[in-house]
Amino acid sequence: MTTTPTVSLPAPIFAKVTPRPFLLRGLANPPSPDLPPARTNGRGPRETRPISVNASSLSHAHGSALVRVGDTTVLCGVRGELLPVESIPQFRPLDKNAALTEKEGGGGNNDVIGRGELKDYDLLVPNIELATGSAPQFLPGVPPTALAQTLSTRVYSLLHSTGLVEAGDLRVWYKPGGGHKTGEDVDMGEGEGGGEGEGEEDRVVAYWVLYIDLQFASFDGNPFDVAWAAVVAALRDTRLPVARWDPDRETVVCSRTESRKLNVRGLPVACSAAVFVKKESSEKGARTKQGDYWLLLDPDRLEETLCREVITMVVDSSDGETRIKSIEKHGGTIIGRELIRGYAGVAAKRSIEVKKAVEAMES
Amino acid sequence: MDRRRINGPSGATIPPVFDDAGSQDLASVKSRSRPPNATRKMYLRTGVTPSASGSAYLEIATSAKPGVSGLKLNCSVHGPRSLPRSAPFSPHIVLSTHVKYAPFSTQQRRGYLRDPSERDLAIHLEAALRGAIIADRWPKSGVDIIISIVEGDQDRETSKSQGDEVWDMMNALSGCITVAAAALADAGIDCVDTVAGGVAALVQDAGDDSTPSIVVDPIPSEHGKILAACCVAYLPTRDEVTNLWFRGDLPASDMDLYTSLVENGIRASKNANCVLIDCLTETVG
Repeated sequence: MTTTPTVSLPAPIFAKVTPRPFLLRGLANPPSPDLPPARTNGRGPRETRPISVNASSLSHAHGSALVRVGDTTVLCGVRGELLPVESIPQFRPLDKNAALTEKEGGGGNNDVIGRGELKDYDLLVPNIELATGSAPQFLPGVPPTALAQTLSTRVYSLLHSTGLVEAGDLRVWYKPGGGHKTGEDVDMGEGEGGGEGEGEEDRVVAYWVLYIDLQFASFDGNPFDVAWAAVVAALRDTRLPVARWDPDRETVVCSRTESRKLNVRGLPVACSAAVFVKKESSEKGARTKQGDYWLLLDPDRLEETLCREVITMVVDSSDGETRIKSIEKHGGTIIGRELIRGYAGVAAKRSIEVKKAVEAMES
Repeated sequence: MDRRRINGPSGATIPPVFDDAGSQDLASVKSRSRPPNATRKMYLRTGVTPSASGSAYLEIATSAKPGVSGLKLNCSVHGPRSLPRSAPFSPHIVLSTHVKYAPFSTQQRRGYLRDPSERDLAIHLEAALRGAIIADRWPKSGVDIIISIVEGDQDRETSKSQGDEVWDMMNALSGCITVAAAALADAGIDCVDTVAGGVAALVQDAGDDSTPSIVVDPIPSEHGKILAACCVAYLPTRDEVTNLWFRGDLPASDMDLYTSLVENGIRASKNANCVLIDCLTETVG
């Protein structure tokens, strides 16, 4: 062969055959010098996909949200079920004074009490289902994949560490003294004058358990950010029926007409980025120079398969000031101290975008 | 216990029990808001899951009263793709159908493991589609058809549902057939015709001794008692029924009743087919 034939492949085939050069091409040398570097999906390295949030689309769940980021779509449904205290093996009756101080809004100590209940009695149950045909690699009929398990666990631990849900909202009280409405601890500590022994004290009779089920309708990368946004939006949308203890039937009964909104503390937003390296690292220990890697914000499915190092930062900028709630990073050595510091600003910008989308759906 | 999922507290949780004392009379809402031969409004769209070969979303409108949810289905088709090497030779395309209720789709929370009713739905769906697909065009290949029922066809307010699940399954199946046909067309899998599902039922609205009547697309909560129902998967241009599922209790002597039930099912299926054709021509054109 003397002449090399020129072959032109359409973009999708090129992407499938040699994904790495395909992505590298647009980032390293853009087609014309005055164009900024771009990814295969047309975005700049630090450009995210727009987010849209829809709430209350499900009628059987107590709260629900549909979140769409590009081609990744997640549906989240929150459903409350009651856990009577008799079926909690290691139930400790709530210390009344502790509950009182918590109600009055004391210091950080009360936080710990509330969170202890959530964690000890396992009141938050998030589960993520990917095997809904959302992408060709996830097919039903098999146990949950490693990715689905990791995602569920990450959502679970973030739910507890951010303290998004208050334990006080999930308690169901029995108040023989006065109040009929027991869901709310409005009249805590009063109407207790004629206490006729131990049995007549105000007490917690049950807890709401929140089943948070997430279903991917469509999967195109960045599952954690989207799933987390769906969890937060769905919890903000959740209304639990007002529950009270019926001493005659010895069960908890709920009101059909009255319901109470869940207090959700803050609006933490997850922001992920993947590091795309020019060369597939063959030699260990070789430092990657500046300019040989790109931080790709909100990676899609193709990019995720090519990147090993991923950073996820959870920030909350709901009350003006940006606070970092968690940082997770794994898979490489490129992201260092400076990058993480700079990344906080990127995450804060994203969190404002997400906050706007969530608040737009609520108004 | 499944250790690969987050299971929650070890004690059993109970779904909320509602206090019915103060609520309005539930029996009074039992009336059909449509004529007996009218199906509910339907919304169908293809291409909702871009990563799949084909996909479709179907929503059946809620009836007029609040608190009643319609059916919401999401279907994605993956394939045709080559069968794994370990699979035996197949001269036809191998269909595998999965139907799964989402945990939040029904009154009671559904588990993640497939239950028998979901398997039943998948089997009926497979039978309905097998008659429509030109299977020998893809030897040695397989296609996965996955349906998630995002919201089931159930009345939320009815506290005592009297074994309605069977009839709900009929409605779910007819929706599954229609949405799967749309997704198959979206995936570009050759079919002899577009198959669509339809349901007809024999209902007794007033008391036990009233004369039963036949209605199309029944909602269990709108009728006093459903005696029998049948779900038909029908190919209109070929005038062929690919799957017929009948449940209920009819006297064997009265074959006319049975045939008119099937005919009404076919009529409902034709209605669904119009929506399907409109949706597909819209995507193409």
